[in-house]
Amino acid sequence: MVSTSSAVPVTVIGGYLGAGKTTLLNHLLASATSRLAVLVNDFGEINIDAGLIESHDGETITLANGCICCSMVDGLAAALESVLALQPQPERLVIEASGVADPGTVAGFCHAPGLLLDAVIVVIDVETVRAKVADAYVGDMVAAQLRAADIVIVNKIDLVDESATAEVVTWLDGYAPDALKLPTRQSVVAPELLFGHGSTDRGDQTAPAADQRFESWTWSSDEPLERSVVEGLMGRVPDDIWRLKGIVRLTDDDRRAWVLQRVGRRWSLRPIARSAAEVVTSELVAIGRPGAVPDGWFADLLGQPSSSEDL
Amino acid sequence: MNPARPFAEAVAVRDGRVVAVGPLAELVTWGDHTLDETFADHVLLPGFVEAHSHAMVGGMWTMPYVGYFDRVAPDGGHWPGCKSIDEVLDRLRAAAAELDDPDDTLVAWGLDPIYFDADDRLLAEHLDRVSDTRPIFVYHVSGHLATVNTVLLAAEGIDRHTPTPGVSRRADGEPDGELQEPAAMSLAKVAFGKVRAAFGTDQVAWNYAYEARNAGHTTITDLGTTQLYDPEQLDRWRRVTSDPDYPARVMVAAGPGIGGSGDHDEYARLAVDLRDNDTTGDKLHFGIVKIILDGSIQGFTARISWPHYYSAPDEHPGNGLWLMDPSTIADVVGAYHRAGLTVHCHCNGDEASEVFISAVEKALEEHPRWNHRHTVQHCQLTTKAQYRRMARLGMAANIFSNHIFYWGDQHRDITVGPERAAGMDACATALREGVSFSFHSDTPVTPMGHLHVAWCAVNRRTASGQVLGPQEAIPVEAALQAATLGGAYQIKMDHLVGSIEAGKFADFAVLDDDPLTVDPISLKDIGVWGTVLGGVPQPSSVSA
Ligand SMILES: [Zn+2]
Repeated sequence: MVSTSSAVPVTVIGGYLGAGKTTLLNHLLASATSRLAVLVNDFGEINIDAGLIESHDGETITLANGCICCSMVDGLAAALESVLALQPQPERLVIEASGVADPGTVAGFCHAPGLLLDAVIVVIDVETVRAKVADAYVGDMVAAQLRAADIVIVNKIDLVDESATAEVVTWLDGYAPDALKLPTRQSVVAPELLFGHGSTDRGDQTAPAADQRFESWTWSSDEPLERSVVEGLMGRVPDDIWRLKGIVRLTDDDRRAWVLQRVGRRWSLRPIARSAAEVVTSELVAIGRPGAVPDGWFADLLGQPSSSEDL
Repeated sequence: MNPARPFAEAVAVRDGRVVAVGPLAELVTWGDHTLDETFADHVLLPGFVEAHSHAMVGGMWTMPYVGYFDRVAPDGGHWPGCKSIDEVLDRLRAAAAELDDPDDTLVAWGLDPIYFDADDRLLAEHLDRVSDTRPIFVYHVSGHLATVNTVLLAAEGIDRHTPTPGVSRRADGEPDGELQEPAAMSLAKVAFGKVRAAFGTDQVAWNYAYEARNAGHTTITDLGTTQLYDPEQLDRWRRVTSDPDYPARVMVAAGPGIGGSGDHDEYARLAVDLRDNDTTGDKLHFGIVKIILDGSIQGFTARISWPHYYSAPDEHPGNGLWLMDPSTIADVVGAYHRAGLTVHCHCNGDEASEVFISAVEKALEEHPRWNHRHTVQHCQLTTKAQYRRMARLGMAANIFSNHIFYWGDQHRDITVGPERAAGMDACATALREGVSFSFHSDTPVTPMGHLHVAWCAVNRRTASGQVLGPQEAIPVEAALQAATLGGAYQIKMDHLVGSIEAGKFADFAVLDDDPLTVDPISLKDIGVWGTVLGGVPQPSSVSA
């Protein structure tokens, strides 16, 4: 996993009521391998196994696996502030946007110092999403959620036939053409795809749905990169690379380290507070469909020696 | 507002309550008495009832005011409106001079630049003229914008690389000092910490009651927007209202807070328990629930039915925002309705009022209940047909008539267009269709003062002096009814306050003139001596 120790990566999870957002949060909390802090609107829906709960104090539930779950009764900004004040800091934040919230607006709060927005994930129910978008009251709100998504989790595919899922995935391009679409059932998604870090201790464990089988590749170099080379790379990423992220040093800015993130076809390159002096190597991780990255692809594009490894 | 005695010479008071009201000769037959002629030259009205206001105004007044319109602070201090950027800067310089700590952030509130000359935006470069060493944070009156100076930008690390949407930029890419919407505003952490601290003190609740008293109000509400019954807030209300000197009765609404999530049956149980069992005293009341469905019209976040907004700016395309999922409202309303509480629902747009009215209808079909008095709050664009449904369903309306003056010109020209603006804040429709109604200031959004709100409902003049939809104007008598019993009815306190009537609290507004005899266009200019609360005179702190 690429370390961003000076800023906590944040994932925003949106989606309308009943799409499967809470189920996803429950999976994440139960299966976390890092110290996760999950910010929810209220604890009512979150169904944490009582045996996992270490302590419950007002707005915070602490789990035995090191994760915490906080309610945002005093608002998102206040919740973020108190979570960042925790010692030790959580390794990752997941924010549940309310069913009527625009997760893009919520994501706006995640650029504050100490935070690094990772991705906006929107969960939809494959069976109801088109009716929701056509709804007179909430249609514009659901459409806005889709437009804000970096990843759309097309949930409940077990309730429809395959062609219906394919139809919805195509239809989604009208709202979220650049987003990564992950069909699934019961909100089960590989954390590697959600969070964009390479497969670690999971080995070759089978991903939950056939469409989620993935491979990851890493590349690193001790030399700083030309900004134009990085930008050029972003224009030539095969669609089968679902996520790409890393920390790089740039030749035109020797003061800072830069975080490169790409989800679906959206990407960003942002400076982080940590000084470039601390970043000795530039490192990138790509995750995608098995075989998506041809041998030596990184090296060819970046003109740097590659240490590609298949997992 | 007592139909048996609409006008009277004197009122007899004992133990804080009205014994009788009528001619002096009639009252003396009650026996031993002392005749108090303090108010011989004044006019007593039932104390005004504000059924939609927020105690947080008391916190705002711990900070300097830089708004466009003149405003009076709870301590009686006059704050003339700042009519230009230079006047704002002068105000800030004076306020900065009063801060002891040179590094303390200066926070000011109420900036209202829409009335400044075109192109006049308050930016960091202006605030830098006030100080280049002290952080400065200026809230705009909308609550959706703030302007900060360069020192604050630097201290919070807000620069050209800050990707947060809403950080407004100059042509060269550097922030210009305007932080738009909450995500960008939240970057000013130190300033927010200061504001939060200011809102956490008892002084907030005292200031709130002073603002009420100075305008002739004796009963006010706190339609809080935070989590239901935050124990600290509850303690604060118990503490201040049990102080004999606290000059107002307060109805504290329960609510699930913004977003409306949580266990509503549990909230309802707590609210009923407080309503029935709290023993603080007769200045603290419970029993209404507040939920928020949509945003504001001037912020383009109210939910408005087709054809939606008249000319929405690019950054607010389409319709407004739901703050709660409309598909859940029936369940939420149902929970409080079944528990026997009165639900007050913030609905600025007519699409929001439609959803709420339908939820009440469903609740009534599933659980018939008389006398619920569920109330559409703000009720600004509620249609004629909706008023007819509300009348049949036994609902009440609380109309935001102050909008006619403060934003009427914008509503006609920009937000909803001439026709719907002429029909908004429709007091005459409520009257005609038989919907019990009150009106409100929503302080701190506009200053508390029912004489001003009544003036709006009666004259419908905008800030530019034009009349907005004269057919929705109401007579002065109806406005006074709305300002007193109308408010008391919808918070279920009409058996206690809202009229001068035997058995009720001796709560009066003490005015210099009779609203029924002055020219209606002068309603808002009638002097307020103060109030009488439970028989005790409470003089205003405002110097004439
Ligand atoms: Zn309000």
